[in-house]
Amino acid sequence: MKILILGGNGMLGPWAVKALQDRHDILLTDINDPYPAYKGEFQKLSVDDVDGVVKAAEGMDIIVNLSVLRPHRKIAFDVNTMGNYAMMLAAREHRIKRVITTGPHYQKVGQQYEEWDFDLNPDMPSAPGTRLYAHTKALGQEICRVFSERHGIQVITLLYYNMKHSWNLGGPEAPVVYHEDMVPFSTAWQDCGTAVQAAVEVPEERLASKNESFFIFPDLPHRKFDNEKTRRVLGWKPRYQVERLWNKDSRNPESNLTEAF
Amino acid sequence: MNVLITSAASATAQIITGALGSDHTLRLTDLPRNASGDIIANELGHESETDQLVAGIDAIVNIGYQGQSGSNTHLMDYHTRRMYNLLQAASDAGVKRYINISTLKLFQDHEENLVVTEKWRSDPPAEDIELLVAHMAEYVCKEFARDRLIQVVNLRLGWPFIGDSSAGPDDTAAISHGMIGESITAALVAEELIQWQDIHVQSPVDHQRFITKTAARLLPELAGRLSS
Repeated sequence: MKILILGGNGMLGPWAVKALQDRHDILLTDINDPYPAYKGEFQKLSVDDVDGVVKAAEGMDIIVNLSVLRPHRKIAFDVNTMGNYAMMLAAREHRIKRVITTGPHYQKVGQQYEEWDFDLNPDMPSAPGTRLYAHTKALGQEICRVFSERHGIQVITLLYYNMKHSWNLGGPEAPVVYHEDMVPFSTAWQDCGTAVQAAVEVPEERLASKNESFFIFPDLPHRKFDNEKTRRVLGWKPRYQVERLWNKDSRNPESNLTEAF
Repeated sequence: MNVLITSAASATAQIITGALGSDHTLRLTDLPRNASGDIIANELGHESETDQLVAGIDAIVNIGYQGQSGSNTHLMDYHTRRMYNLLQAASDAGVKRYINISTLKLFQDHEENLVVTEKWRSDPPAEDIELLVAHMAEYVCKEFARDRLIQVVNLRLGWPFIGDSSAGPDDTAAISHGMIGESITAALVAEELIQWQDIHVQSPVDHQRFITKTAARLLPELAGRLSS
């Protein structure tokens, strides 16, 4: 399939490209130059450039929007809200049947849920609250919902929370801490990328509606969030279980006897 | 009461200004490209100008439908980002009430025989940018109410707006200028409201399309004038 990737040079983009590039034709776009290892087709494009996005989407089968902007009050709206508007206009214009968008878990289940409840799942009514990142992403998702209902465009929303390096389970924002409290929605970067592949390739008949959301994380014991739908519908199988974060059995023995018997 | 009215150059705002002017102290604002005379030019950005705009204000009447014109992207930006900025500034300043003027056209695709009330989910069309952005403005408002940062009355008005003339036979959702003013006057002082309060208002007309019992219950000043 021909896939237009918006915002493909952020943190998730390289992992999604790695999962997709040998299986599909990719047009990678971003406001920044592509990362050095990328050798495919690239176009410099801002996701809020509506005309540019519509033009870039011509001839595509799927649009994947990986763009993210968190802290800036204007650019967050431009990227997270207007970006999805541009994507949906492009999908409508070119009769593209499937779009995939990404965001944080709390664009769906905001603090009011997270601080109180368990078994949180991606089919709950959206309650993002006013936190800028969650709010702007939720507005973008709502635009997708309206376009999906009116024009029959398949929208798949992949929701993430805490991404980890597979080699040490550290993240980009904090040093790694083992065997202590963790974000019970943590996912290795590689698996974040393969989830995009799963969303691209999932057969339409497995999707219950034209607007489906998924929580992307491996099986975790907390029961805070629920990933059952992701495994069942997308058939996504994470390679990394981030077990050292939540299982004390995986720490070194106190004797430091680490050699094999 | 000190009341800020947004999109003050719009036709809807002018109806409201005329209705509220004698009983309240009004501060009018609009984007610089629309503002003139007594209307304060303000971009509704996230800097201190918006904080200054809402300082000392008790309530805001925001035109959430057909207050602005321009490109689709401008309208989307105005009704999402700029609404967020206004609500954030209002919340920070302790403004007590935010009345968002929306439209019952969000339900226009439902057949007229259906008993549409505030308990129905609105159904904005993607291809009508004015209705889509009215829906998005409601969404922004609701999240500020959900976080209990400000109390929001989402007043969905019927259409068309009827001035001196009477409603035509097909205007089953019509609302008079007088009813618009009275409903906002009542919403400014209503006491029995929850944090996010949808209220549907239209005038009593033949074959009235929308139920207005919530308005009659929560805005008692209107009760005798609404269809029961």
